[in-house]
Amino acid sequence: MAGNILEARGLRKTFGDLVAVDGVDFHIAEGETYGLLGPNGAGKTTTISMVMGLLERDGGDVVVDGKPISTSSTSAKAAIGYVPQDIAIYPDLTARENLDFFGRLYGMPSSTRKQRVDEVLEIIGLADRAGDRSEEYSGGMKRRLNIGIGLLHGPRLLMLDEPTVGVDPQSRNAILESVERLSREGMAVLYTTHYMEEAERLCDRVGIIDQGQIKAEGTRGELVAMVGGRDRVHLATTDRTEPAVGPLQQHPSVDEVTAADGSLELLVRGAAEALPRLLETAASAGVSVTSVDVVEPNLEAVFLHLTGKALRD
Amino acid sequence: MTKVLAIGVVNTKRFLREKANLFFVFVFPILIVLMIGAFFGGGLSSTVGVYAPGDGELSKALVQGIDDLEEVKVREYGSEAALIDGVQRGGVQGGLVVPADYDERLAAGETVEVGYVARPDQTGILLGETVNGVVQRQANLVRAARFAAARAGVPYEDALPVAMVVAPGTERVTVTTTEAGAEDSLTAEFEGLGAFDLGAHQELILFMFLTSLAGSAALIQTRQLGVARRMLSTPTGTGTILAGETLGRFNVALVQGLYIVGGTVLLFRVDWGDPLGALAVVVAFSLVGAAAGILMGAVFSNDSQAGGLGVLIGLGLAALGGCMVPIEIFPAGMQAVARATPHAWAVDAFSEMVRRDGGLVDILPNLGVLLAFAAVLMLLGTWRLRRVLTR
Repeated sequence: MAGNILEARGLRKTFGDLVAVDGVDFHIAEGETYGLLGPNGAGKTTTISMVMGLLERDGGDVVVDGKPISTSSTSAKAAIGYVPQDIAIYPDLTARENLDFFGRLYGMPSSTRKQRVDEVLEIIGLADRAGDRSEEYSGGMKRRLNIGIGLLHGPRLLMLDEPTVGVDPQSRNAILESVERLSREGMAVLYTTHYMEEAERLCDRVGIIDQGQIKAEGTRGELVAMVGGRDRVHLATTDRTEPAVGPLQQHPSVDEVTAADGSLELLVRGAAEALPRLLETAASAGVSVTSVDVVEPNLEAVFLHLTGKALRD
Repeated sequence: MTKVLAIGVVNTKRFLREKANLFFVFVFPILIVLMIGAFFGGGLSSTVGVYAPGDGELSKALVQGIDDLEEVKVREYGSEAALIDGVQRGGVQGGLVVPADYDERLAAGETVEVGYVARPDQTGILLGETVNGVVQRQANLVRAARFAAARAGVPYEDALPVAMVVAPGTERVTVTTTEAGAEDSLTAEFEGLGAFDLGAHQELILFMFLTSLAGSAALIQTRQLGVARRMLSTPTGTGTILAGETLGRFNVALVQGLYIVGGTVLLFRVDWGDPLGALAVVVAFSLVGAAAGILMGAVFSNDSQAGGLGVLIGLGLAALGGCMVPIEIFPAGMQAVARATPHAWAVDAFSEMVRRDGGLVDILPNLGVLLAFAAVLMLLGTWRLRRVLTR
């Protein structure tokens, strides 16, 4: 497909009996930020590892910058910057030594490597600590160095695997701002996360992944439209929910009612206005509501709609 | 090649930044060579403590006789108790007690006992034999003077000085023992070796291999830190990563090997045989050690596990390969088993050069076997590391 920096087709990976990734397809256009949004264990890291050529695939193909990628191929990797979920640096080397080392592995000539190392140290805010061993850095500084290594050679595609896990709010915001800036500068980004708000903030398109499959894909607007722009209303009740299902379904603003043990899930247009009448209806049916939770349409709601569970389950 | 160098240099740099590594690579091996040379090679002087309160000529001559021995020093003590204390504390390796009336009692024709005290170790016992030799020589003089006094009617006091003057010029009887098949005997095999030679050859091989296995921890850390996988995310293949990691360990083993060879030549005048041959053995064995370290680093998943087993494997192979006890002492069956270790081939290469005056050409078979060991271990390491990183 013309204009795509990355194309992944039919990716599949099993570990014994566990199917970790099952037929994943997606593509990323030049300069696009694509998010893989899913809970822990959904298959995000396995997918990114296969895309990066770090993990052998049981099936599927990956093409980056027009070149096929696998564990044994190396040429396509020059176009990619990889930021693993766990900090992958030598703690007994300084930030400058770590960057210089990876610069050599990316085949950067010494004339440009030193200059680029200095630039990246400025970008990640470690210029004044460049000569200190990285084991002496705070967690946030290590994270920034971890990202800096991925940026060093000026890749066309940056892959970040949950880069904000375990990061304090200030560092997290700095990381998100960096990704936004790189995106504005035209770098394509593959960003995996289980934080809905990060995907909404950063990504042009999002693939919602669960149990190794991409359940839906599109822009935020396209995905939210899948739940019809409706609010999801969760009513915690006493054990008896069935008597209220019929009356609630006949309510003009309610599109769908699902009963579960001790709760009712409703898809409602304009929940804020309709809520008092919905509660009256439930009470009239003899169902006592103990608490109410309204989720406005967002990717969390989409995930809930698609999988029946919350992102952080 | 640039990437291999980059990985190798970073590995070496990280290894040498660890102060404990510096001790074990550079200080410890020399200390062990020194200790083994001192204990088993007889290469260091021993000190005999002496308590000899008498001022007779014979008493003084006995002490002087011991002091005149090569590699034996004398330290005088003011009391027998102080001497015994000195022996117990290890200040001296043996102690001689000469009675205050030593000369007078000998002149009176009495039998006089001198006391010797030592700790029950090999050095003390061997030193006792040496001291006994000096005492016996003086006893022979006394017997000669008494004989002259008895037969020629010369006073003992006059005969003794004459015996002391005449004795050094007396022709000695030399007894030479020749074993059947002496050319093949152990005696012939080790004849002419310096005090530190054998120990140095053995310790070189033992330590180079142990250090290389210890280096496997660095590869395990690189895997645990995720750096190895991150290297694979760059345009760098598994083979290049392996070659770089191997180069790091090879550098350390080679530097350590050359350091031990150079250090022992300068400090202890150890004979390593043909310099080119010695260099070739050190290089070939550095490759073996590096490859073994890589294989261990790829097989084990935590560095403490590798550290414990590495020492066990390193010492086990060293013992089996003749790095602790000379392989020539092994029974025939064990000698055959020892050939399954690279250590035996490396030690044998030095034996060939030092004990049998061989050169580089004579040890080519040994070098070939060592390189084959390195190649097989590298292939296994590459296969294993690729597997653990990409599956």
